[in-house]
Amino acid sequence: MRLKSDLSPALKYQAVLIESAARQAGLDFHEVVFELLDAKDVNGVAAYGGFPVRHPSWRFGMEYERLEKGRQWGLSKIYELVINNDPVYAYLVRSNSLMEQKLVMAHVYGHADFFKHNLWFAPTERKMLDAMADHSTRVRRYIDAFGLDKVEVFLDQVLSLDTLIDPYLPLREHAHAHEPRTLHTPPSERARRMLDSLTASPCDEAAPKPALRARRRAAPTYDVLGFLEEEAPLESWQKDLVHIVRAEAYYFSPQRMTKIMNEGWASFWHSRLLTGGLLEASEILDFADCHSSATHSGPGHFNPYKLGIELFRHAERRGEDVFRLRRVHNDVSLVHKLVDEEFAEAHLRALVPPPVEGATAPGWEALKSWILQELAWGGLPQIELVELGAETGELLFVHHHDGRDLQLARARDTLCNVAALWKRPVALYTVLEKQGKKLVVQNGEAKVHEDPEALTRCGVEPEGGSPRPAHREAG
Amino acid sequence: MFRIESDRARFREIVRGRIRADLKKYLSTGELIGRAGNHAVSIPLPQIELPRFTFGENPRGKGGKGEGEGESGEGEPSEGQGVGGAGDGAGAHILEVEVDLDELAEMLGQELELPRIQPRGVKELSSEGGRYNGVRATGPDSLRQFRRTFKNALKRTIASGLYDPRDPRVVPIKEDFRFRMRKANPSPESSAVVFHMMDVSGSMGREQKEIVRIKAFWIDTWLRSQYKNLEVVYIVHDAVARVVDHHTFFHLRESGGTKISSAYELCLKLVGEKYRPEDWNIYPFHYSDGDNWSARDTELCISMLRDEILPRVNQFCYGQVKSAHGSGQFKKDLDAALGGEETLVTYGVSDRGDVPEAIKAFLGKGR
Repeated sequence: MRLKSDLSPALKYQAVLIESAARQAGLDFHEVVFELLDAKDVNGVAAYGGFPVRHPSWRFGMEYERLEKGRQWGLSKIYELVINNDPVYAYLVRSNSLMEQKLVMAHVYGHADFFKHNLWFAPTERKMLDAMADHSTRVRRYIDAFGLDKVEVFLDQVLSLDTLIDPYLPLREHAHAHEPRTLHTPPSERARRMLDSLTASPCDEAAPKPALRARRRAAPTYDVLGFLEEEAPLESWQKDLVHIVRAEAYYFSPQRMTKIMNEGWASFWHSRLLTGGLLEASEILDFADCHSSATHSGPGHFNPYKLGIELFRHAERRGEDVFRLRRVHNDVSLVHKLVDEEFAEAHLRALVPPPVEGATAPGWEALKSWILQELAWGGLPQIELVELGAETGELLFVHHHDGRDLQLARARDTLCNVAALWKRPVALYTVLEKQGKKLVVQNGEAKVHEDPEALTRCGVEPEGGSPRPAHREAG
Repeated sequence: MFRIESDRARFREIVRGRIRADLKKYLSTGELIGRAGNHAVSIPLPQIELPRFTFGENPRGKGGKGEGEGESGEGEPSEGQGVGGAGDGAGAHILEVEVDLDELAEMLGQELELPRIQPRGVKELSSEGGRYNGVRATGPDSLRQFRRTFKNALKRTIASGLYDPRDPRVVPIKEDFRFRMRKANPSPESSAVVFHMMDVSGSMGREQKEIVRIKAFWIDTWLRSQYKNLEVVYIVHDAVARVVDHHTFFHLRESGGTKISSAYELCLKLVGEKYRPEDWNIYPFHYSDGDNWSARDTELCISMLRDEILPRVNQFCYGQVKSAHGSGQFKKDLDAALGGEETLVTYGVSDRGDVPEAIKAFLGKGR
């Protein structure tokens, strides 16, 4: 699908100015294509995660409803959307003022530089716009062949598992690029697969599989989706749906891991570029207003824009090379490297609720480890597939417990979805209120047992011990 | 257009399915009453979401939560849970869904298998609208139809032998002219009036009134979908009856004796003055706990019903709500005296669970 791309001459002129200023400042990026959209259409694109075409799913419709309500009631407004692609696509909202458009463009060039140079983005698919459209076509064909209900139910089951991936896996494989299995598909391979998918019948059991299966996943692994794709007893169209969900999950994963850095870097540069001579005198006040409302955070309100821009400014004051930082770090490692007492007091203290009467406030190290824990593993519980029962075929998962319990009802439903794909028993060790638990799903029934073994399995010392730090850097 | 519209339609379909599945629940709670606007009702639903492994609420690691739906959007809002997402407990998200009252009535009709109402005769004619789809021989120049006029003139010229192909002049005369004409488009429109009469005497407790209100809400919703023009009159009575507005009806607490005939009298007076049976489909509903002032008053009620009310209305419904103090005598008396009347429906409700059945009894005849 083609989007209208009709930037006015004034906007085009600004884009050229800002681009050259950004390049002079040392930013480097793939070509950036700006699209001008109405606020309503921007919501449509935003609901699709920035893409003009996604596979059909009611979830996107729900997100769109939410965004539309926010827009109609004036509660929220989307300024900008940018997608990691080559070329980078970014959307401008038609109703914004020229100053706002300039701010957004400068911001987008910051993102574009980050996408190109941050290490975690290196393995991501850079032709994702095409890949998403391809995914959409495939899902639509399955719907035509098997019916909406069947495909939707299965897709929902798989989507509920889309956080069960190993965020470090793509980079590991990228580092060993000679190994045949990569997430990045060369254009020739994509073209071949496209041809295959067009010629093959979706019902055909023996449809040629994409040549991605060079290495088998084996437990233990965090890449549950990858494991299920290869090992679960699924029909070919189901396998393909798992493949699609997994590919999209890995595409989005670096954005989750670098949200603070990414927004911080873009805000750092839009501020620097625009105040470095790109603004008219008449725009300065409006810019300051707009910038500060985007990078503002009240007590208890976590704003990645704010934290990110402050981190980079702090780094610069400390004499660090910010370009190098944006290249090698993710949120966790950057916070770990940069946060010191001064920074923690200035920017982290306000995020935690004030201590109750009589209690002592946490020290700055406690604040730092709190934020690190929040950011670790993309802010998600760390669930690992540890064993495949040799005889029963039972899948065994462990929740690496860091003091935060799972939300039990959701964990149970999620595990049921794993079992639905695996078609054999599935179990999860976790800890609830310091009690070891084993969650078992068998024949569609979920049960929770007391199980002291779970404590050691989940990395919690049985009596009075402090929980082991959860964040294990795999690889 | 963006494909998102079809995803949105699918989402709405799923939501409608949820509401339909829960309709019985809504039928016996007053939840929706306060949420109804003029055309739509906003229904709170638990957020529909896919289960995922997430952190729950335990004492550790709180604070600093709260997702910033900030002023600046970013790369992938739908996927980006960020660090802020962690603190949301299950069910904390509520989805507000707007549903048209018509649509809600449709669901109600399906759920309770209610027949469509056959209006008693055609009353008001509305001549609104109308289109320029006629032709006539006189009219203002501004409505002249050139093409027809010219054709007529040409035909006449040729027929009278005056037409000369070398000099194809055609001069229209008065008879040739045609003008566009607006045709009124009379569409039959039926009107209905609902009388909700409620006993607000001391013996009607809070719960009883609540049941009445729930019933009244759903009955209105249904009848509104059946008649283009529906008026609702709220009457409350203890020993005397008076007309009140919607808000008062749904919030009033009163106490005192009970004289049911006072309400019937008022209803009859309104029917005589304003809602004449020739022009209106009339639906009186009366709710009480079955206690009346005296047996004589009950007799008066029965004779009023038999002689004056029942002949004039589509259907008279009496809903008796069981209360701790009420004797429930009135329903027995009505059934004994007027049991054979087709246009009278009585139904006894003992608790909220009976509301759907009561609605079905009242509206199931399709009158």
